[in-house]
Formats: sequence, C-alpha cells, structure tokens
Amino acid sequence: MSLGVLHGRVAYIFADADFDVDQIIGVENIRLTDPDALAACAMRHFDPDFADLVQPGDIIVGGENFGYGHPHFAPMIGLRRLGISAVAANSFATGYWREEIAEGFPQIACPGITGLVARWDSVEVDWDSAEIRNCTTGDALPITPYSKAEIGMLRTGGLIPYLRKRLGVT
Amino acid sequence: MAVGYTIAEKILGRTTAAGTPMPAGSEVEVKPDYVLGYDFPGYLDLIFKQIKEEFGIEQIAEPDRFALFIDHMVPATTPDEEELHIVTRAWCKANGVRLHEREGIGHQVAAEAGYGAPGAFVVHFDGHVSQLGAFGALAIGIQTQLLEAFVRERINFTVPETTKVNLIGALEPGVMARDVFHHLVRVLGPSACRFQVLELGGPALTAISLEGRQTITGLAMFTGALTAICNPDQIAVDYMRERAPTSFEPVSSDSDANYAAVHEINLNGLAPTVVLPPNPAGVAELANHTGLEVQSGYLGSCASGRLEDLRAAATILKGRRVAQEFQLHIVPTSQAIMAAAAKEGILATLIEAGAFVTSSSCDYCYGRIATMAKGQRAVSTGTLNVRGRMGSPDSEIYLCNAAAVAASAIEGRIADPRPYFVAAEK
Repeated sequence: MSLGVLHGRVAYIFADADFDVDQIIGVENIRLTDPDALAACAMRHFDPDFADLVQPGDIIVGGENFGYGHPHFAPMIGLRRLGISAVAANSFATGYWREEIAEGFPQIACPGITGLVARWDSVEVDWDSAEIRNCTTGDALPITPYSKAEIGMLRTGGLIPYLRKRLGVT
Repeated sequence: MAVGYTIAEKILGRTTAAGTPMPAGSEVEVKPDYVLGYDFPGYLDLIFKQIKEEFGIEQIAEPDRFALFIDHMVPATTPDEEELHIVTRAWCKANGVRLHEREGIGHQVAAEAGYGAPGAFVVHFDGHVSQLGAFGALAIGIQTQLLEAFVRERINFTVPETTKVNLIGALEPGVMARDVFHHLVRVLGPSACRFQVLELGGPALTAISLEGRQTITGLAMFTGALTAICNPDQIAVDYMRERAPTSFEPVSSDSDANYAAVHEINLNGLAPTVVLPPNPAGVAELANHTGLEVQSGYLGSCASGRLEDLRAAATILKGRRVAQEFQLHIVPTSQAIMAAAAKEGILATLIEAGAFVTSSSCDYCYGRIATMAKGQRAVSTGTLNVRGRMGSPDSEIYLCNAAAVAASAIEGRIADPRPYFVAAEK
C-alpha cells in the first residue's frame, strides 16, 4: 500500500528554530484530551481565524528542530481535528518526530521547506517520488527517506496497527 | 576509511540476531537487556491495557528482562492515584516482574539495581534513562515504542550515528557536572545531536564522578540526542560488578570508529551557569543573573540530588540559614542516597539550615507538589524549565547546579555559589 499524494495548502508556517509545539494550544490547555476542545484552542494565539480558514489536506510547515522542548500529544490532536493532514519541516526534534510518527501522523523532513513555500501556497506531498511540490510556484524539494518501520507506521496508521500487522494479530 | 565501531554500534549489534556490531544507519531488530518503566496515568496503565486488548497477551515473556518503578505520585494524594499503584503492583505480581516502589527515582534506582551495566541495552519510555550511559550502558527513552518491547522479543531500531565530545580541563569549586551539561548545550546547540548518540570522553570526564556523569548523560535529550554514553572505566565497571543481576561484558568504542562529529570542549574557566525560562537551551552565565529574587529552590530530580549534590549544598548551608519565607526543598534521588547522607551527617546540616528534606519522589520536578503560584520563581536542579512545569504557567524556573540552589536559598536571590566555597576553605 502506498501513501500516495497529499494535496493541500500551507495553512501556517512556524519558521522559528526549536519551535515548542505546546504553544499551539497554550501550556494552560496541555492537559486537555478531548479533540474538539483542543481544536477550539489550537492556533488562537497565532491566527484567531485559523479554524475557519483551514481545510482537510492542509499542512503545517516548520523550521529547524521543530518540536524541541517537552512536547505533548495534545497540540497535534487539536490540529488533526481541524483537518491538518501533515507537518513538513526543515528538520525535527527527535522526541517529537518519534511520537507523532508512532501516532501515524505524517511528519515530513524536507530541508529547505521554509524557503520553498509561502502561507496558503498549494502543495503536493508525493511520498512515491519522495518530494514536496509547490503547485503555486512549480518548485520542488526532496523528502528525507524514512526507515522501513516509520513508513510502516505511517501506512498502517501508527505503532499499534503496525505491530498488530507485523505480529499477525487479527 | 574507519573500520572500527562506536560503543553504541557494538551494543546494539550484540542484541541483534546476528550478534555482531552494526554500523550507523542499519535498520535492525534489537533485544533490550532490560525494559523499564514507571506508572503514571497514560503510561504503564495504557501499556498493560494495550498488550491485553490489542495483542491478546495475558502474560509477558521473559519477565526477568523487565523492571518497573513506582516513583511518581509518591505518596499518593488521591484515591485514583493509589488505585493506579494498586494496578501496577498487581500486574507485576501476576507477571513475575520486579517492582521497585518507594526506593527512589527510577533512573537512579536502575543504576543501584545494576540494570545499567557496561554494555547493556536498556529501554524505557522516559528519555532521562539515558543517565545509565554513565556506566557504559546504552539506555534509550523510546517513548510509546516501549509497547513494542512488551509484545515482541526484539524491537525495530535504526542504529544511530554518534557525536563524540571530548572534555578537557578541570572544574573549579562551585562549578559542577550540571554546568558541564549546560555548557555542552551552549556550545553545541539544542539540535547538534538530533537522532544521535552523544558519546562523552576525554581526560576531564575521568575526573568527573559517576554521579556527575549521570547528571550529564541524563540530560542528553536537550542536545537532541537519543541518549548519551561514556566508555566505561574501572570505576563504572566496579560499581556495576557489585550490583548487576547478571554477568556483563564491557565494550568501548574503537579508536577508528566513525563519528558524525567530534568536538573538544575545554572546562577550564567554566563558570556556574543558569538556564533561563522557558527554554531548556537558554543557557547563560549565572553571574549575569544574580540578584533576581526567587521564592523557592528545588534540589533533587533524576538529574541531581545525589551525594555530591547534597554535600555541595551542605558545605554552603553549614552554619547558615535559608532566607525567611524561602522554600528550599531537598529531595535525595534515592532512599539509599538519603540513608548515606544521613550517616554522613549531611541531612542534619541541611535540616538545621532550614531546608525541607523529604524522601525520594519524582513529584517535585513537575510541580505535583511544592507547586508554584503565578509570579513565583524557583531555582532548580530539576530536569526542565518549560512554562508550567512546576506549577502555574506564569511561574518561572531557573535551572542551575545544586550549590547555586543552596546559595540562592540563603540569599533569597539567584546567587553565585563560588564565594561560599572560598569561605569554606578558609
């Protein structure tokens, strides 16, 4: 099974290095677990109209070492509920990357992505040819390859379905 | 072209089916020598549920490879917390798995119980387990992937590259291993070791105690590293020979091993550091921030609270008093350390100075107890200074070494510990 091609727009760019994803919902909301509640507080500090503007398929773009600090799952649960389908960044912090891949949430390491796209550009993430294309400008950049386990988790929807498949659990 | 292997490549390679060193980048299946974890809502309780409901596993295989800890929510403050501990106790009993309860912070207890023997491969969900690297073990916080270690003999892993840091020079009194780590982050940056192993060496490392090496390796994640490791010397081997439940074979990096990068960091002239909130990489000179009023101090956590930290604090607090209204919490990292400190008379010195000294618990580090209110500031040897970590999102944490916490407690302001050591020598 292939991951195929994701069509969407760049819904927001966090260009700062070492971005702490907990800021997306605010530290005061970090203990929330309900996806709707998290969606309601996500991005409010960055763009109060974000929830109205975002569409399924849209992606978030990050700079260097995206996800540094002490990241929690809550911010990305909120963003996914709003329709965010992937996060592409110049590079990722180790712990954040591992946890979101284990959640089955596509994270895309694409050095130079912050220079490739502007907010609201249309993009295609093509996992088969391993590149991100900016449909607005026609430019493209390669995606850093995944390990077999990582691609397995993204294809099956996360660590648990991946392990169940590998172990033949029915 | 280097043909040798790093210690990480050797340890991971040994635990593959082939049993031979595996170069960085190899996608391998590795068998942990020890699988560790602590109970906390959403962690072990979730794993217990998932292995049963998602994988139909009633009884885990090879229970001797597992050891679990009750070190958070100790003591419990709600019936739900105690219920969680009851579930953990029952699961361990049913599965024949060792449980270390109220013995101290798990990463320290893991060292005391010998799970971090030189050459061992250890997994936990919590990244601070990297401190077993002080003894030459490769200990990795694999987060939710820990589930895989409960349901399979081997787990997927990509052998990481290694960045080597050679430490040279010597530390002055009042400058501690904690400052060495902060200095590493300052020099290398917060992403230098992303997805890599941080290997420490050099003549200055030899002069740093095992406890100090635990402090440095235990904080590796803030360089982006998966873990950190020291090639084991005789001190590390001797420590573990007395404790390890099974025999072990120390391994070290070959002199011609391949490294992603090699750095030399000189410790001569290093001054006490402070990590400014709310960024774990916000390292600054402590001397540039002295005088800032602080209301509480925490000396403890898996990154501190060991004997040398307690001794440093006692040297400073001996015959002095904690400032009025200042809350100084001192939490030895394990019960064994607390007992040793009691026998040395350190605890009496700390208590007589006005410190609030309690048995070991993780709970101070994340604000479950000694919770800060809006507008308050702490000096802390805890692991982390992000917003809200020790209470209100509008409180602040200044991370520093144990001696600086003690000095600040006396003055009620961020204080440089070095003058106190000069005074102690006179």
